[in-house]
Amino acid sequence: MLNTIKTLTAVRAISGREKAVSDKLLKLIAPHVDNVRSDAMGSLIAFKKGTGKDGERKSRMLCAHMDEIGFLVTFIDDNGYLRIAPIGGINFVAATYSLVEFANGTKGILVPESGTAPADLRAEKFYIDIGAKDKKEAEKKVKIGDYCAVEGRVERLAGKRIAGRPLDDRIGCAMLIKIAEALKEAPCEDDVYFVFSVQEEVGIRGARTAAYGIDPDSALCFDITGTGDAIGSKPMACSVGGGAAIKIKDASVICDVEITEQLISLAKEKGIKYQCEILLHGGTDTASIQASRAGVRAGAISVPTRYIHSGFEMLDLNDVQAGISLTLAWLGAK
Amino acid sequence: MELKELMMALPALMSVSGYEKASDKELYELVGEHFDECFTDALNNHFFVKRSGKENAPKILIDTHYDEIGMIVTRISDDGFVSVAPIGGVDTRILQAGEVIIYGKEKVYGVIGSTPPHLAQPGDADKLKSMEELYIDTGIPGDELCEIVRLGSPVGFKPVYTELLNDRICGKSFDDKACAASVLYAVMNTPREELAGDVCVMLSSQEEVGLRGARVGGFGIYPDYALVLDVTFAYTPDTEIRKDVCLESGVCITLSPITDRRLTRMAIDMCREKEIKYTLEAAPKGTGTNANVMGITREGIPTALASMPIKSMHSPSELLSMADAQSLADFTVGFITSTEIAEVFGK
Amino acid sequence: MMYNGKELIKELSLAFGPSGCEDGVRELIKSQIDGVCDEMYCDRAGNLIAVVHGQGIDYDLAVNSPDRRPDRVMICAHMDEVGFMITDVTDAGYLKFGTVGGIDPRVLCGRPVCVGDENSRVSGVIASKAIHLQSREERGKSTPINKMYIDIGAKDGEDARKYADIGSFGTFVSDFVSFGKDGKYMKGKALDDRCGCALMIELMRAIKDKPFDRSFDLYFAFTRCEEIGVSGATVAANSIQPSTAIILESTAVADIAGVDKSRRVAELGEGGAISLADRSTIYDMAIVNFALGVAEKYGIKCQVKKYVSGGNDAGNVQRCGVGVTPLALSMPTRYLHSASNVSCYDDYVAMRELVEAMLRDWRFYK
Repeated sequence: MLNTIKTLTAVRAISGREKAVSDKLLKLIAPHVDNVRSDAMGSLIAFKKGTGKDGERKSRMLCAHMDEIGFLVTFIDDNGYLRIAPIGGINFVAATYSLVEFANGTKGILVPESGTAPADLRAEKFYIDIGAKDKKEAEKKVKIGDYCAVEGRVERLAGKRIAGRPLDDRIGCAMLIKIAEALKEAPCEDDVYFVFSVQEEVGIRGARTAAYGIDPDSALCFDITGTGDAIGSKPMACSVGGGAAIKIKDASVICDVEITEQLISLAKEKGIKYQCEILLHGGTDTASIQASRAGVRAGAISVPTRYIHSGFEMLDLNDVQAGISLTLAWLGAK
Repeated sequence: MELKELMMALPALMSVSGYEKASDKELYELVGEHFDECFTDALNNHFFVKRSGKENAPKILIDTHYDEIGMIVTRISDDGFVSVAPIGGVDTRILQAGEVIIYGKEKVYGVIGSTPPHLAQPGDADKLKSMEELYIDTGIPGDELCEIVRLGSPVGFKPVYTELLNDRICGKSFDDKACAASVLYAVMNTPREELAGDVCVMLSSQEEVGLRGARVGGFGIYPDYALVLDVTFAYTPDTEIRKDVCLESGVCITLSPITDRRLTRMAIDMCREKEIKYTLEAAPKGTGTNANVMGITREGIPTALASMPIKSMHSPSELLSMADAQSLADFTVGFITSTEIAEVFGK
Repeated sequence: MMYNGKELIKELSLAFGPSGCEDGVRELIKSQIDGVCDEMYCDRAGNLIAVVHGQGIDYDLAVNSPDRRPDRVMICAHMDEVGFMITDVTDAGYLKFGTVGGIDPRVLCGRPVCVGDENSRVSGVIASKAIHLQSREERGKSTPINKMYIDIGAKDGEDARKYADIGSFGTFVSDFVSFGKDGKYMKGKALDDRCGCALMIELMRAIKDKPFDRSFDLYFAFTRCEEIGVSGATVAANSIQPSTAIILESTAVADIAGVDKSRRVAELGEGGAISLADRSTIYDMAIVNFALGVAEKYGIKCQVKKYVSGGNDAGNVQRCGVGVTPLALSMPTRYLHSASNVSCYDDYVAMRELVEAMLRDWRFYK
């Protein structure tokens, strides 16, 4: 598991520019499924045919987003500094003085203009210093429209806990890979679509067209969720290590009640550690899938995570494993 | 069944946004026998179809949303106090000392706690408590309560129903069940042979949390034309609402860039012809109702929007006049029986 | 009457078409594209769609097997403009109004407007309290829109209602002016996005005059209601189901005094602006690079939008159905959403040339 996570977090793929991670995912999932394609927006869609009879099989969509938050270069000034636009919800306090990586390997430091007050930290106040002498040298390494993101890394902490970025949502992608692996050993009756969606961080966009194309009978989303267990965090009955988080609602969606109930009873039945999640802010692909065509029954399993959108998102691999087990139980259930 | 009976019955059914499925059976039992078909889709939109019996009849969709604002359980303390988060635009001013029902395995009655003046600090009265500071007192110990209620259990306001002077009534979730009642009543009582097309009444879900149900419901039905009915603000002295949109002013027809002008015009002409009481309302920026999404569904659905004026919207004591409900029902009958409209907007 | 170039932009600019009331603009466009397209229809949402077929395609075959349906490329521009809607007529005969689309209240006071619909209109002016009568708190602050009113000279409410009522539409009244060096700057209302409409009209004519080999159908969509966000382009894309869409728009530029170079979105006179990302869309680099490459190959001026801001129909179009690849090409325009849009005719010509060259070179993209 950790190796898969490390592979997936090693490449930069901001929203709208997901090719690098898409290529990695293609390699990882292809051996376990019947076919893989990309849709017009770039979401990667892998298909695994079920063992049920034709006409009796339902289609189930499992979705995790593969994009991450980052920056787009909008301007290169005469001194070779880069100006940027944020892609996705950047936490600038966390990003200040971070090392950023470009697709071609160029590195730079994300720096706020000298004297910027902490409350004033927003995109316009930042520039990237790639160490170039002047504009000419900078343009050899970077051009307008190139993108970068804070470096990817994963560190093991105590127990089964890890920290790094972008675990949002490469952890979901890794879960899908593991589920596909497991299904190869023990296939389920229904058809399963594994969707690695694009552009979640900029407005849950990719899952929408993917779901439209697939038109599934039901769907589960895999993403991270906030917790109430850090010092000073707002009360939330969800904690790292508390088990797979079965989403009840977030700001974008109220999950299908039947799917939620089904997940809870499966977890109880199989003795899988779980908790219920009500996230008051933030949205997930679940909303886009639910709103597709004439509506899709959709639920979500989240990984409780602290310090979201920072350089060190922290989660517990036990929760991840619980989520995988629960999903396999769901896929096996009618 | 009388209109007033429906007006009492519908708000009593549980339908907090996202949890509309909870009352599908009761709803079918209440009005199902008057329709050819009743069904519920993946997003909990409830549909009631009445066919005209004509061949190649146009498909007419009448949308009123069925969901209501409410709350959802987020935490249960050991001593049995329940924390909640809002679903939809809940006005926190009206919560303290309010009576609610938690829909767990069984219904649990509760009161939202308030601070008595004796214990309040000076200045407290000016401040509103946020949802996070409020809790529901159920009188049941925490461990027992957890057997009945869990995280995510929906919470609704306790149904109230009061008759006031002049055939005005007061109750909860008249937004938008007052319209739903009027529409169901209108379609139920229109003889099949008078229908200008096959009528599909959609009691849509999740309107209060972002027009989510109508989006997919409209896609699934894909009618030839649609009428969206919702509530609007009746004039009260503390608002900037035009004085002529008030109780007993009839159905309020909305003119907006997003609604179909010709369909709207024909609906207004129909009111004149049939002497249905109406007023006009302009919505320059769009409407904040399901009409916003209906018109751009699939390859476009010509949509008109009309409303019933009510007071104290989103409080547990919304106030309306039965005369307006009757106007809305008459308007609906006019709309679904109009052969002029069917000729222009049918296939 | 057929109009060309600047005259065409002028006529389109003067046409009355706030979001929701675009029929007048649509009729004008219809009259200008008569005979230069293979099909023309108005869809259920009121968009005008003109189709120019590809060449060497067996359409009988295509009808019977959807797989053989040729590729579809959609080009779209919106017909609507920002404007007003009357919300109330006072007993004294003043018209209260709301804005249709986003208009800064500061550009409203004192502006001449007209009120009505595509068939009949009456002149008016946006009025507010005289400076002498303003309280100290009011002075130096912009007047909120609910304190403004349109005065059409009516004696009283009854008189006013003969000409305008709740739901009547309004727009700025602003003549079309050529000015600046060599008269290349244009000033008028609704250049956003009538320049795009004009471009599509002239492009269809150019294709008719000088046909070229192409294996795709071209759909020109003149769309409604972009300015209020309930996008007609969504409906157009749903029904057309194109693989690719070129969205012709206007972009704010901020190439004016006092704006730092790194903050300038685009500049007048540097050609059409291609977006990399905005609030509604992150664009696919393959088509962006194709457009930039074509521009370089033929020496056509074009620029990359330097700032991530705003949004347009591209976002709605991109996420229709199974997804559409959009390209946004925008006319740099100063003072958007006011009575006086200012843009440069050279940019218009460059954009027209670029889109035509892209279509001629389309095989290099697909």
